[in-house]
Amino acid sequence: MHPDGEPPILELERFSHTYLEGTPRASEGVKDVSFRIRRGERVGIVGATQSGKSTVVDSFAHLLRLKPGQVFYRGEDVAAPDYDRARLRREVGIVFQQPESQIIEDVVGADVAFGPTAAGLSAAETRGRVEESLNTLGLPYPEYRLRYVHALSGGQRRRVAIAGVLAMHTPVLVLDEPMAGLDPRGRRELLELLVRLQKDRELTLIVCSASLTDASLLCDRFIVMDGGTVVMDGPVREVLREVDRLAELDITLPEPVVGAREMQKLFPDFPTDLLTEDELESELLERLGVA
Amino acid sequence: MLELQRNVIFGQFVETGSSIHRMDARVKITATLIFIVASFLVDNFLGFAILLPLLVAIGIASKIPIGYVLRGSRIFLAFLVFILAFQVLFYPGDVPESDYLWHWGILSVSTEGLYTAGILALRVILLYYITTMLMLTTSLVDLTNGLELMLGPLQRLRVPVNELVLVFVIAIKFVPIYIQEMERLARAQTARGVPFDEGGAITRARRLGRLLVPIFISGFARADTLTIAMNTRSYRGGRRRTKLRQMHASPSDWLVLALLVAWTIAASLA
Repeated sequence: MHPDGEPPILELERFSHTYLEGTPRASEGVKDVSFRIRRGERVGIVGATQSGKSTVVDSFAHLLRLKPGQVFYRGEDVAAPDYDRARLRREVGIVFQQPESQIIEDVVGADVAFGPTAAGLSAAETRGRVEESLNTLGLPYPEYRLRYVHALSGGQRRRVAIAGVLAMHTPVLVLDEPMAGLDPRGRRELLELLVRLQKDRELTLIVCSASLTDASLLCDRFIVMDGGTVVMDGPVREVLREVDRLAELDITLPEPVVGAREMQKLFPDFPTDLLTEDELESELLERLGVA
Repeated sequence: MLELQRNVIFGQFVETGSSIHRMDARVKITATLIFIVASFLVDNFLGFAILLPLLVAIGIASKIPIGYVLRGSRIFLAFLVFILAFQVLFYPGDVPESDYLWHWGILSVSTEGLYTAGILALRVILLYYITTMLMLTTSLVDLTNGLELMLGPLQRLRVPVNELVLVFVIAIKFVPIYIQEMERLARAQTARGVPFDEGGAITRARRLGRLLVPIFISGFARADTLTIAMNTRSYRGGRRRTKLRQMHASPSDWLVLALLVAWTIAASLA
């Protein structure tokens, strides 16, 4: 089944989920979703609202009533009756869309310490993890340790939520709309931080978003979802080439791609698989015969 | 816990387009009141047996699966059993010695105690069933309009009917929202290692405590937003508001009510 020896770190095999199944209020979340994510991959799961992204994310840490044989972590069926769910949740860290929902304690330091303590780390180790995570996120430990979470701004709260997950040292990091509600500077900082962390810790990084703007700089592969199914799956540039289809799916395109799309009016064969302004510029200069 | 909405259905509205759903809200509210009165008047098992076919008919006509209604009452039933145990064990009535099945200190089990507890249980279940049915089959808009129209005459006595109804309806409407919110919180906290889906009843209850603070905070924020939204859209209750849809009771509505009154009187006299 896995010729390269190592099973994929996450695998969905015809994953289907219906919320409140068997009641009059049942609603289908996703249907027949299959993909494999290898260790260390940087994957963007993109789609408009209601496309099923969040259902997929919840399935990674077994936060839904899963049916057996559909969701696998390191080749093991997470819905098997004797599967250790607590361990799975220590390995798959999820930062949810609303950071408030996952903050458990009132005080910043205590909240970041929650995961490591629950995982059974010693007080000294926990303290080290808390300090490291808060500092990494630009919330200096001595200053923020005793602050009340509810007194922080939205952006700071999101950082606390991320710090809480980072402190767990999970090999898989999943972020659901991490950039929502952040100002341009906060976004740039978070983007740089995630790129660095992914490299340093060899993380498997999964980012969920309805916008490709930041995801295209953060990921190597896009899984595009629509109406609860996967409609595209491939390397970032390959997906960006299908720009008309993406726009049709109500997915926000990165600025260089928007620019390139405009250029297609002048040059019908203008490429759209551009990640940065620089790429757009050099492509444009080439066309104009300057370079 | 991860699917709390499955077990708590209070305040939920399920559209099936049945004849009960289409019925005038005022008729449904009146019918509920009739049943509430009946639940106090009926004092023997025969009376409840007479009501049963009527309740079954309502359930079938509503097209809402009975399993859904029953599953939604699980938490409530556990509470009921607890109360009934007390009712039986501490039954204070004047019971002849021969009727005691078991006796120890102030605790006792008597046939009379069991009988009263049985009637009490049926009363509470009837009340629960009928109010749940009202909620499941009546949208909040209809419920608000119906209540406002019914309580309208009280406005002459300077009772702020619109405001009271609004508060009542918002209170009910918020229950399912909170349930959903709690489910979301529980899911996010589970992801961080609080195992909501494991452990015994007491550990589970203690974990629920962790959800209360965020629920309250989001509750206040929500109420705030709602107030602002209503103000910016110039909401004001009272007689000057007009309705897009006027309610008209048809002859068949009156027929239903008459039948209901007759049926419940028969049950009360049994």
